[in-house]
Formats: sequence, C-alpha cells, structure tokens
Amino acid sequence: MEIKNIKLSQLPAFFDQLIKSGKVVIAPVMKKSGKVFFERVQSYSQVATDYIQTGFSAKSVVFPKVEVLFSFNKTDDGIDIKDSITDIPETIVWGLRPCDGSAFNYMTEFFLKENPDVYYAARKAKTTLIAISCAKADDACFCTSVGLTPGSTEGSDLLLTTMGEDVYVEVITEKGKAAIDLSASLFSVNEERSKEKYLAKIDTKFSLTEIKERIKTAYDSAEWKNESMGCFGCGACAFSCPTCTCFDIQDEGTQNKGQRLRCWDACGFGQFTKHASGHNPKTNQTQRRRQRLMHKFQYSVENLGIVSCVGCGRCIRVCPAHLNIFENILSVTQ
Amino acid sequence: MEPKNQYIPYKMRIASITEEAPLVQTYRLEFVDEKDAEQFTFRAGQFAEYGVFGEGESTFCIASSPTREGYLECTFRSTGRVTKALANCELNDIIGLRGPFGNTFPIEEWYGKNIVFVTGGIALPPLRCVIWNLLDQREKFGDITIYYGARSVNDLVYKEELEEWSSRSDVKLYVTVDPGGETPEWKGLVGFVPTVLEQNPPKSDNAVAIVAGPPILIKMGMPILSKNGFDNANIYTTLENRMKCGVGKCGHCTVGKTYVCKDGPVFTYEEVLKMPAEY
Repeated sequence: MEIKNIKLSQLPAFFDQLIKSGKVVIAPVMKKSGKVFFERVQSYSQVATDYIQTGFSAKSVVFPKVEVLFSFNKTDDGIDIKDSITDIPETIVWGLRPCDGSAFNYMTEFFLKENPDVYYAARKAKTTLIAISCAKADDACFCTSVGLTPGSTEGSDLLLTTMGEDVYVEVITEKGKAAIDLSASLFSVNEERSKEKYLAKIDTKFSLTEIKERIKTAYDSAEWKNESMGCFGCGACAFSCPTCTCFDIQDEGTQNKGQRLRCWDACGFGQFTKHASGHNPKTNQTQRRRQRLMHKFQYSVENLGIVSCVGCGRCIRVCPAHLNIFENILSVTQ
Repeated sequence: MEPKNQYIPYKMRIASITEEAPLVQTYRLEFVDEKDAEQFTFRAGQFAEYGVFGEGESTFCIASSPTREGYLECTFRSTGRVTKALANCELNDIIGLRGPFGNTFPIEEWYGKNIVFVTGGIALPPLRCVIWNLLDQREKFGDITIYYGARSVNDLVYKEELEEWSSRSDVKLYVTVDPGGETPEWKGLVGFVPTVLEQNPPKSDNAVAIVAGPPILIKMGMPILSKNGFDNANIYTTLENRMKCGVGKCGHCTVGKTYVCKDGPVFTYEEVLKMPAEY
C-alpha cells in the first residue's frame, strides 16, 4: 500500500480540490442539536472535525433512504418505464470512520455477490470513501470486538490518520489514488509506520471467535426474551446501522403516472413479515430482535462469511429503550 | 454484459379473467412485447411479482404450467392494497410482472414415481402448475393422487378443473370442505385436509408428496406423510413468506439464514426441519 503525508494545515486545500473536481462531496456537519450528520458541503469550513461518530452512516450514498427504481407514465398505446441509473453523480464521502468503511465491504458483498443489484453497483462504482481514523471513542464503540480497529483500512479508498502536525495517508485503492492526484503537490512520500499511539483505545467486549461459535446454539436461549423486553420496534437501530440493508418497495403517484420506490425497512417492525392473510411468522418483538442479532453474528457469517456488525455503536446510542447490542450478544451466548 | 435490472417489470396484458371463488380470480397474462415472450422461460414452482403501476407489487406462484406456452396465469385473493387494485383491473389492462424467481420442483427426478398432492384453499394454484405439468406428460409418472380442501364449497377454486380431474381415470382426487362449509347438494368429503389425509392415507412406496397450503396445513400435513412412511426428503412444500424484491435482498422472507425467495420457495420436509419454524 502506498503511504503519503500531508500537513494538517493543508487538509482544507486538499478538500477544496475535491470540491473543485465537480463531484458531490458529502461530509460530517455539526447541526444545532450538537449532533453530526453527513450532508453535501461546498467548503471545508462547513466540515465538522471534532466528533466521535455521525448520527447516520454514509450508507445512504450507495443505498438511499428512498430511491426511485423507475418512473412510469401511461400513454395512449401502453406504459413508458424509465429507470434513473444514468443520473447517479460521482460522489466523495469525506470523514467516515473506519468501521463505516468496512460496512461498505459487507454491503458490496451482500448486494453484488449474488443477483447483483444494478442500482447499488452504479452508485458504488461512482463513490470514493475517504475515511478518518478515530482519535476518540465513547462507551458505545466496540469495533475492536468485531475484528476491526479505529484505524482499519477495509472498505475505504483512503484513510487519513492525524499524527500531530501531519496526516498519515494510506492510499488503499485506485480511487483513493485518483483523489490525492487532484492535489498531488500537497502530498509527500511517507514511510509505513504504526498508527497505534494516535488511535482511540477501545476495550474488547468479547472474543469474536467465541461468540461466533456459541451463537450457533443461541437460537433457543431464554435470554432473548429478557434482552428484547424493552424493544418496542421503532427501527432506530436498523436505520442508523451502517450494514442494515432491508428494504420495502412502494409505489407513489397514480396508476397513470408515478414512481416505484425502494425505501429502508426494518426487521424490527411488526408488519415486516406479516402475510396478507394476517398470519405472522415472527409474531413478537423477541423473535424480531433475535432475527436482527442472529443475522449480524450468525446468518451473514453462514451466507457471506462476514460478521455484519462493525461495532460503530450507533444502535446503542440511539436506542430509546437502552438496549445494548454487545451486552445482548453476550447474554444470549452465555 | 451488464447485469439485468431485476426491478424493471415485463409489461403484461390481461387476456382473460376467471372468477374462481368469492374475491378469488385467475388472470391469464400475455406479454405485450413479443421479444419478452420469446426469451421468458420458467419451471414449475417458481413465482413472480405482479404489479399494478401506482399501487405496488404482490407475490404469487405462477399457476399455469410451463407446458402451456404463450401465457402465464396467476390466481389471487383480493386482500390488500395491491390485490384489490389488481382485482379492479379490466380485460386488456397492462400490469407489470417480474420473475421468474426462486427454485423449482425437481420434476425430472420424479419420473416413474407415484405423486401425491396435499393442498388447501388458494394454495392449489401453485400446485396446479405442477399438476398440469405432470398431466401433460402423464405417461412419465405413476399414480397421481390429489387431496384438496377449502373452507366451503364456494371457496373451492378451479371448479371446472376439479370436475375434469375427478372424471379422469388416471387421477385420484379427494375434495373436501371444512365442517360447516358444505351445502345440501355437496357430494364430496367433509373434514379438514389433514383429517382426510389421515383417514385415506396415500401409499408411500416409490412416492413423493407435495404439500402446499396455509402454514397450518404445511405444519400438520408434512408430519402425517412422514408418519405414513414417506421419506422426509421426498416430501416437498412451497413456502409463501412475505416478499418484496424476489431476489434475496429485501429481507422480508427470511427463515433464519434462508431466503425463501432465492433458496426456495420449494423445500423438502428434511430441509424445513432444519430451519426455525418462521413461516
């Protein structure tokens, strides 16, 4: 991997080159609430630099909350159908955390390995991920328990790690190289070195090897009931999750003119599995919470070989019932 | 070659409408674009997403046999937003169709075997596809026995075809209605399908069985066949969980790690026993 250096004071100049490239640049922005969310920005002055984690992940860049699959228009001799794939812009995501970068790895496996999703493929191909290592963490962070670190490079195109007055730049992919080539003069050659002392310290909550083994027999654990008791199925965990991919398909408009939409959905919603007959295979919140956690730690491992939890901690921070995914996983695998 | 956009539907013209039972209709659909008709193929057991533009999509198995070329049929009950809109469509209206999705019944493996169908209500449509597929090459199979029931006489679907199968000497047909669902003129059986199955058990020698129904019928029917000597690997079912995408992405149909839409909908009892009962 190619390693570069840029002066911390030069980051705004690098950022402005990204803006000038004409691509859509999405970066963390501090809102009045004190929370940080990704949004489109026009200059570095808008970009938040002091934050642990963004409210939502950047997954909406490749898997929008609401996406138009196609629009339709009834005509005299039939129906015109038009998809919107050609309108997808080149996009740069700035400042995502390494955990979120690795979530893109999972999503790419999930969406493209089997029955490839052309919308995801088109968006992902046009997205460059510039991640920034974590110098700070909070109690909800647990990336080190799921095989990652605050300086993981998986899934990102560039990883920036601030080291005093310098920024250590790992050029992970060709897309990452293309991004720094926009302002080549700002970057100097650097040598590979340890990032360790510049990264947040995050305690390990559990041994992933042990959890992966024990969860195989956790389906019938009596603890699911206790652990899901508080859950009222609001779906906040799924919507804030960087790896949740469930969606609904809904039409909008009239029968003459409208759009077919793909919208985020959540396995915690009571209607999610309900049949037209009224029969519901997952009748209660315990079954739904179990599905969510088993999917992250067992089913996605069996199907794709990947634990689909990156330890970002968002579901813990947003849960109104104070459910904690790593505590839940520990208790059902006791 | 670019991968196909699996969300863009084929345009289908409603070529005929048959009233089957209260709120239940069969639509015969023909491709609007001849090129689509030429390249579209499917096999018994597969399903499709049927869409009314502006209303959404619903999932049903293809109810016609692949041996009957040039059209597809679906049978549905008007229940929710989409099926109500579908029911309000008229002859020659254009609807959308995506598919075919899912795996298939291994019909070639059944050559020379006796075949038993166990089904109820509007779960006959998915099996009707298989039944005609077998009857259209009748010489390749042994005995064919069909157990079919509905809540009431009025709720039986494909009444003309039931007549036809009942009059054929090469098909053994048990038609039953739930207790209380009979009419004074009713000459068939009265009783729930699992009861009729237990009272008239099919022979398991050299036989395969296919069970389709509301989940309760699947959950009760398969153990009865197993008890009667059918190998669990020779008892098939088609699971009908809620689905949206049809291609293993939207997450609605999962049973444990299994996506009913792409890993199924056809499963053997042996496979079902290894899955959580989330269907």
